[in-house]
Amino acid sequence: MPPAIETVDLVKDYGELRALNELSLTVEEGEFFGLLGPNGAGKTTFINTLVGLVRKSGGEARVFGYDVESDYQQARNAIGLAPQEFNVDRFFPIREVLMHKAGYHGIPEDEAGERADEVLKRVGIYDKRNERFDWLSGGMKRRLLLARALVTDPDLLILDEPTAGVDVQLRHDLWDLVTELNEEGTTILLTTHYIEEAERLCDRVAIMNEGHKVTVATPDDLKRRGTDTIEILLESTPPAATTIESDLGEYAHEVSTSGNQLEIRVDDGGSTVPQVLHDLEAAGHEIADLEISRTSLEEIFVDLTRQKDRSVTRSSASSASGSGGPDGDDVASEAAHGQTQEQEREHEHEHEQEREQEGVA
Amino acid sequence: MLSVGFRALFKRELLRFIRRPKNTFMPPAITNVLYFAVFGMILGGRIDSPVEGVEGADFGYILFLIPGLIVLGTISNAFENASFSIFHGRWNEYIHETLTSPLSYVEMVVAYVSASAVRGLIVGVIIAVIGRLFVPISIENGLFLVATMVVIAALFAGLGIIGGLVARDFDDLTVMNQFILRPLVFFGAVFYSLTMLEPIWQAVSLLNPMVYMVDSVRYGLLGYSDMFEVAPAAYAEFAPLASLGVLTLLTVAVLAIDVYLFKIGYGLTD
Repeated sequence: MPPAIETVDLVKDYGELRALNELSLTVEEGEFFGLLGPNGAGKTTFINTLVGLVRKSGGEARVFGYDVESDYQQARNAIGLAPQEFNVDRFFPIREVLMHKAGYHGIPEDEAGERADEVLKRVGIYDKRNERFDWLSGGMKRRLLLARALVTDPDLLILDEPTAGVDVQLRHDLWDLVTELNEEGTTILLTTHYIEEAERLCDRVAIMNEGHKVTVATPDDLKRRGTDTIEILLESTPPAATTIESDLGEYAHEVSTSGNQLEIRVDDGGSTVPQVLHDLEAAGHEIADLEISRTSLEEIFVDLTRQKDRSVTRSSASSASGSGGPDGDDVASEAAHGQTQEQEREHEHEHEQEREQEGVA
Repeated sequence: MLSVGFRALFKRELLRFIRRPKNTFMPPAITNVLYFAVFGMILGGRIDSPVEGVEGADFGYILFLIPGLIVLGTISNAFENASFSIFHGRWNEYIHETLTSPLSYVEMVVAYVSASAVRGLIVGVIIAVIGRLFVPISIENGLFLVATMVVIAALFAGLGIIGGLVARDFDDLTVMNQFILRPLVFFGAVFYSLTMLEPIWQAVSLLNPMVYMVDSVRYGLLGYSDMFEVAPAAYAEFAPLASLGVLTLLTVAVLAIDVYLFKIGYGLTD
């Protein structure tokens, strides 16, 4: 079987802005795959390229072996998309909206009605089936987007920030549901800002930044890439840190002391501890207590995306005649830009109902 | 062509306007009752037929008006339905439901155009029925009339698709319908005959495509065509058929443009 998603050197340019930069990614059939990245990383552009809402500028993109442009009908038929935006047909009750969507995918009307009922029950809003979208609460709207993605019984379910802005209970309900779907064999591509969500749900995650793929790994592998901190309580206050650092080997990336407390950053705390103990005791230190704290996925995510930001900033700075602020400023600027986009999106949603009132011709 | 997906989109488009008759069918019905009452009955009784005395044109002013009003209602509604449906879907982004589906671009376009053409034709029939309440009508060239109506309804539904894709705001739709379409129709010999114009204005009028639509429907309904009187003699006899042929080719060309625009995602993607 071909992979559920396969992109090779995928490029998307918006004028001078490169939203996807030679992105090569493979998601295997049946996998629960996460896309992580800050605002503006290119996650939604990537998804929209797969479903036909964005035209790629270069490279290749295939869904279950079908090219998303030349075999667009087969590719789209395999995908169920729950987008970030509430882009639902306001003219019809939600049950009919689902029936229409199923119909577009070639499902006969009777079966479409049955499927609509089934997915509405599954996401827990069956009793609202005759309501229009605008009358649903925010959580129900989010559930409906998932129901619409499911009504065509897709082989590939794409969830773009499915739990953004929903309460804890609904978030857990959605997690249970998508886990169940994945166990039933549906391939799932999830984008999220919530590291906990990716860590809990995904088999593998790709971290993206500024259109690049920074890395692809399992959540556990990623965590192993981070440095661990060994916290040691000594029987007596040690001399200056530099002296202690010289007592330890090259495995210690950073050493700090506070009274008789010692913090040592190493690659793999579990396997390094015996060596640390040996070296400290050899140097005459007595150890009272020891604790290892592992790096969280969130810290690794921030670290990876920050590193990438810095490298981009450096190259940008070198090509910009020496102008530009320090790295930190550029990162902050990027974050602020992303925040502005988010605010614009929220502002846009506030005006959706206003738009709806523009009239019915 | 008539796949399940196509039928689903076509039905969705039909239901959108059928369920809102107060917004879609009542306004043209009321407007045309007023047209017939004022221009047909009150004023029309005192106005001689613009083609009085012309051989084969033995009918009053109110009957002369009906084909033009049918064309006006049909094309306005076909255009408005298609342009609004596409633009509103873009505005609220629910057109993504269609765009992310496995429908082919041809199926998408034909479904939108067919449904909008049906709305235009329904409005045309409503206007004809209202006209019949004011004056007896006997259809002279039924098949030709049906063919012409279907073609012009599809043509303006197709143009409406382009309008809906090009528009950047609701104001743009109003501009297209009120400031471009209606003036062309009003100067398309709806209320007067080309035979009443000076030769120079006759020539200018022949550049207006609406003239041929109104004239073709008038020929289908009443058996009379202004072209018999004003077109060059060698062409006059075949004028209605030639008009229908050109309109059909134009419709096919517009539909091809619609499909192309969907294919490249103009106004729809990115």
